Amino acid sequence: MNILQIKNLTVEIDKILILKDINLEVKKGEIIAIVGPNGGGKTTLIKTALGLIKQYKGSVRILGKKPEEAVKTGKIGYLPQKAQIPKNFPFSALDVVLLGLINKKMDKKEKIELAKRYIFFVGMEGFENHPYGKLSGGQQQRISIARVLVSDPEIIFLDEPSTGIDFVAQEGFYDFLKKIRDEKGITVVMVSHDIGVVGRFVDKVAGLNRFLHYYGHPRGFFQKHILERLYGSDVELVIHSPECVTCEHFHSDFKGEK
Amino acid sequence: MIELISIPFVQNALIGGIILSVLLSVLSLFIYLKSWSFINVGISHATFGGLALGFFLGLSPTFFGIVFAVITGFLIGYISRKGQIHEDISIGILFSVSMALGVILITLSPNYNTDLFTFLFGNILTISREDIYILAFFTVFSLAFIYTFFDRIMYCCYNEEVAYVSGINTTFYYYSLILIIAVATVLSVKLVGVILASAMMILPAAFSNQIFWHYRGILLLSIFMSIVMVVAGIFVSFYFDLPSGATIVFLYSSLFGFAVLIKKVLQKV
Ligand SMILES: Nc1ncnc2c1ncn2[C@@H]1O[C@H](COP(=O)(O)OP(=O)(O)OP(=O)(O)O)[C@@H](O)[C@H]1O
Ligand SMILES: [Mg+2]
Repeated sequence: MNILQIKNLTVEIDKILILKDINLEVKKGEIIAIVGPNGGGKTTLIKTALGLIKQYKGSVRILGKKPEEAVKTGKIGYLPQKAQIPKNFPFSALDVVLLGLINKKMDKKEKIELAKRYIFFVGMEGFENHPYGKLSGGQQQRISIARVLVSDPEIIFLDEPSTGIDFVAQEGFYDFLKKIRDEKGITVVMVSHDIGVVGRFVDKVAGLNRFLHYYGHPRGFFQKHILERLYGSDVELVIHSPECVTCEHFHSDFKGEK
Repeated sequence: MIELISIPFVQNALIGGIILSVLLSVLSLFIYLKSWSFINVGISHATFGGLALGFFLGLSPTFFGIVFAVITGFLIGYISRKGQIHEDISIGILFSVSMALGVILITLSPNYNTDLFTFLFGNILTISREDIYILAFFTVFSLAFIYTFFDRIMYCCYNEEVAYVSGINTTFYYYSLILIIAVATVLSVKLVGVILASAMMILPAAFSNQIFWHYRGILLLSIFMSIVMVVAGIFVSFYFDLPSGATIVFLYSSLFGFAVLIKKVLQKV
């Protein structure tokens, strides 16, 4: 069964075409990465799937329902792109994670215990009672990830989850996602800019720049003509950035596999 | 002081003031969290047009005030939700028109002087027993609503889109809060007047956040401080024969300024 099914999706905002004829299927338990240049429509695609953008042509089904119905199940997790939190935001890290348990029928003590366990999972133990607004960007991101995961969702949407998370921790983060997926069968849809790293962890890559230029196994993604179509003239930038090294590494990985 | 308390209209003023303190300081947390001061100021200005219309027609100013406040509240809420813009120019014009209309209508009415002043700056001598009943009923209702859905409302304050995806009916809580704020604004007219009503919904949380960072502390200190300030303001205004609303807001603002100053000094040390 497809947990997310998008057919012929076209989104226009203020008469500007943002997404055109997107077709995408995600199966239960898959990890997919949406990649593409800035302004390519990645966030828009996620928001449409979540019912946050309501004006679109085509059909979107998530958990077999329309987005606005699907969200009511409380089975969807969402980590937005760079939520700007004021420094004096009066929530503790624990409060934020507890928000993830809002739909759960548990007593307060159980909730706190569970929330603390997830704070531990994301490597933030000891920060439970810290002001959330005063945590660093990466630390806030980790706490938000705990908030998403604690709700025991069936599918999660992460918009640039590794933003601010240090490079060393990133691989650990993707491993962690994979582990959660294997244990709980969660489906993961994430947006990422580190295509090199992502390539080694995900089941499918969606290359998005207004059109869905590529959707499939990462193996087929790293081809010059696809990258060129996706990133246009910026392709040099992508290829000759640090990812370049990981690209090479990635290619050889898969050569070895065959 | 004891003598003062035994006067019925002083009692009414104190009881009304204390109930209102609790309501407005709780609302101030959400207004602070959502940076709603613009919505709040807009509502209070528009309220004036409604009050004046009711007064001019010889009908209930409170009723017309509530109608105007709620309509503007929803309109401002709707526009600031649709567009990304926080302060829309059309909104500014809208409530200025309501305010201007109010001034004109009041001026056209006979004996307008005292009433104009009352609407603008409040007059606690006019708080009646009936006002207190209405206020008490509304406060209990509002606080019960907020208490019941506190976690959900706080989730909306944290991030509305995330709350929506978690299955929370964000639109419902958004407009419910605006509705409560609109009615509360009208009910605080007699105590502090339309001009200063919004100050009473902005100052408590802004002040308390100088001292506590967590919302639980902010909420409790807001309630406590508002009661202290309102009671102190009422007494000071009686003794020195000053308008109560202005006295309360002046004391409260001074306290806020003092807290900010102390905090700055402490941070430097
Ligand atoms: N609310 C909006 N109003 C007008 N234009 C919008 C709106 N939201 C997005 N856009 C436009 O849609 C396009 C795609 O934006 P989107 O945020 O989906 O890109 P993205 O792929 O997530 O980019 P990034 O990598 O920078 O996060 C951009 O050109 C943007 O200007
Ligand atoms: Mg984006």
